Amino acid sequence: MNGDTTPTCEVREISKAFPGVQALDRVSLALKAGEIHALVGENGSGKSTLVKCLSGVHQPEAGEIRLHGQVVSMPNPIVARQHGVATIYQELSLVPTLSVAENIFLGRFPTVASGQIIDWQTMRRESVRTLGELGIEINPDVVVRSLSMAEQQLIEIAKAISEDSSVLVMDEPTAAIGLAETRRLQELIRQLARQGKAILYISHRIDEVFQVADRISVLKDGRLAGSEPARDLNVDSVVRQMLGTEVTEHYPKQHNAQVDVCLQVENLRTQSGVRDVTFSVHAGEVLGLGGMVGSGRTEIARALFGAERATGGSVRLNGRPVHFRTPTEAIKNGVALVPENRKADGLFMNFRGPENITIANLAALLRGPFLDLGREMRFSKEYFVKLAISNTGIERSVQFLSGGNQQKVILARWLFSQARLLILDEPTQGVDIGARIEVYRIINELTSLGIAILLISSDYPELLAMSDRIAIVHNKRILQILPSDQLSEYRLLELASRAHHPSEGRTYEN
Amino acid sequence: MRTRPRLLSRIPVMGPIISFLFVSFAVTLSTDRFLLLDNLNNVALQASIVAIVAVGSTLVILTGGIDLSPGSAIALLTMIMGSLLKFQGMSVPLAVVVVLIISVIMGAINGFLSSYGRIPSFIVTLATLSIFRGIAFLFNDGSPIFSVSTSLEPWFYGQLFGIALPFFYVLITYALAWGFLKYTPIGRKIYAIGGNESAARLSGINVNQTRLIAFIIAGLTAGVGSILMTARLNSGSPNYGVGTELQAIGAAVVGGASLAGGYGHIVASMIGAAIIVVVQNGLNLNAVQTSWQNITLGAIIVLAVFMDMWRTDFGRWIGRTWGRIFGQRPGMADPGPDDP
Repeated sequence: MNGDTTPTCEVREISKAFPGVQALDRVSLALKAGEIHALVGENGSGKSTLVKCLSGVHQPEAGEIRLHGQVVSMPNPIVARQHGVATIYQELSLVPTLSVAENIFLGRFPTVASGQIIDWQTMRRESVRTLGELGIEINPDVVVRSLSMAEQQLIEIAKAISEDSSVLVMDEPTAAIGLAETRRLQELIRQLARQGKAILYISHRIDEVFQVADRISVLKDGRLAGSEPARDLNVDSVVRQMLGTEVTEHYPKQHNAQVDVCLQVENLRTQSGVRDVTFSVHAGEVLGLGGMVGSGRTEIARALFGAERATGGSVRLNGRPVHFRTPTEAIKNGVALVPENRKADGLFMNFRGPENITIANLAALLRGPFLDLGREMRFSKEYFVKLAISNTGIERSVQFLSGGNQQKVILARWLFSQARLLILDEPTQGVDIGARIEVYRIINELTSLGIAILLISSDYPELLAMSDRIAIVHNKRILQILPSDQLSEYRLLELASRAHHPSEGRTYEN
Repeated sequence: MRTRPRLLSRIPVMGPIISFLFVSFAVTLSTDRFLLLDNLNNVALQASIVAIVAVGSTLVILTGGIDLSPGSAIALLTMIMGSLLKFQGMSVPLAVVVVLIISVIMGAINGFLSSYGRIPSFIVTLATLSIFRGIAFLFNDGSPIFSVSTSLEPWFYGQLFGIALPFFYVLITYALAWGFLKYTPIGRKIYAIGGNESAARLSGINVNQTRLIAFIIAGLTAGVGSILMTARLNSGSPNYGVGTELQAIGAAVVGGASLAGGYGHIVASMIGAAIIVVVQNGLNLNAVQTSWQNITLGAIIVLAVFMDMWRTDFGRWIGRTWGRIFGQRPGMADPGPDDP
């Protein structure tokens, strides 16, 4: 980690422009062997472009990339991998129907008989070795589809490591996994650094970056805003560099809980194994569901929304017993779900902002049997102003909006549908910090209108700060419900994990 | 509703119109018979059936599905129409109503199996393609029914203001379809389930019901097409409508509809139908063999899909070039959603 050795990988003054935006503007970074180098920045600051330049997806227009002091060109991802640069993208690139071992050796199966027949024994042995070195206790014969997101992430890393790479680039490796899994991943990353690999670690979660990184570089609008050893920095100074302005309050929490109970759940039981779930949410209250990925948080939410079959128990909404068999029924009764995966389950990329906002409540636009498109545009513009959504989304597809703006469009959809109970599943995942704070403000505004919120989040500081009470979900049931001010991050983690190792005791979903 | 580069999408049907003018110009150059009034009339009549069937095909494609059965449906329905008029002695209006009802049922079968039945529409309609034509051969011992009725022609091929009636049928059908897609909740939901089925379900849209409705309309337009075909040829035959599904799907695709669903403009499908019929007419007039006509139709569809895929890149290329020449961008080119 001393400064005078040649960096394993260095980018010098690289620039890359897309029509209408200078994505990277003379950015220089040095990745040293054994160092964990974190890269942070808002959405659109150029992080992903930098990753893609390093991995051969994009070609920089100016500047150079050096590996072990030699200038290299990487015309495509295959060449980058041959140079020893392994990249783990935000979206996993595993084949769900193949086994762990097959995935690890995908595209370079060991063979016998002059390359014509796969050498299964070697493949299995090497897989066991690779997984063992990384301390991953996963059977190499298991089909990847049956693993959790966190476990798949570990396989992805094993795959990258087994290629003998010297540089490991990780784009948001923790975006989809819970806190305990994140800790485990970080340990693994540290271990890899100790083995002398140069690691570029990209994350939205600044707290997390401080836990793992040796050096933190900040990108702002395609320029390098700073690159310093982590010990010389603190969260506030990094956020300041990212935003260019001072942020005084990360979590602008308001307490708006009312006396009236909005949702009352008793002994809920679902097909997916959730059982004995009893809780209530008051109007204007935020009830957090804390727990690890796979603990049953999402299943509870989906059952309340009618997206999953409830097999027992009772649900009362504003005092009325309800039993939703489909999301349509739930929506008609004022229940809404903001799904975890915005792109796959939330947005209509073929629609502009207005159509995305009104789709769940087209009845409100009806004049006779027809849609009043003028009214649609007026309502939508109101929401665009109220939630400060980029105007791009009025005239153009929502695919051109940033993650934060897209999330706000979905929130506007449920405001427009007059939801009384809003289930937010990881609402700030992949949303940059500026837009996050806006999402929190929207949550405040929703609760001040008396809307009850069920918040699912793997970001524990966020969960603690934004919830009035937190229900700890563990092993498909609710352990305990506590006011969030009686909990600390440490205590929450302890309760949620309960001497429970993530890769053990997990029941595989079929 | 489409998100293409702006210059091309400001008028969503501009691309197909340009292609149509180009194709017509090329055919005009190749033969001087193309512009003869009789020929143009013939082209219009041929295009009318394809255009009407293409409405249904486009709706199904917008939902992300595909309908391979309208050609066979037409064959069966012309046989039913012929039998009703000639053997049962039914009056024309009543026969029309019966045929339309049957066509709706046929569409509903496709729709029901590919939504509630959870079988991919490609498979369902491939099966009904075979079934419908098979049933058509059960009528009249598999022989065509000729000289169906003398009263058919004036009903459907008379003239209004000197223009053949099918022209008005096409206009009315497209006006209805356009209004349906733009101004009704079901129309909006058709685009929504094609754009993102999972999001549609979580937004409270009844995906199965919406898909069923799209297929019912597809059945209905095949029914209208079959009535026009029976009237035009004054006969029914189990061999009618061969390849009509390809022409109709081709019309939608040439008009720019995405086979993945969610993108497409209904009026563009009408122009797409015109393009396909003009090309085939041009080949006919130049005495090109049927085999080559089939090859050409297939090639056009592949080309249209490619052009659709390339259009965004092409738009970006124009944007870059424009920027280099004039030092500013016309604001039409965008980085992809993954780029900042």
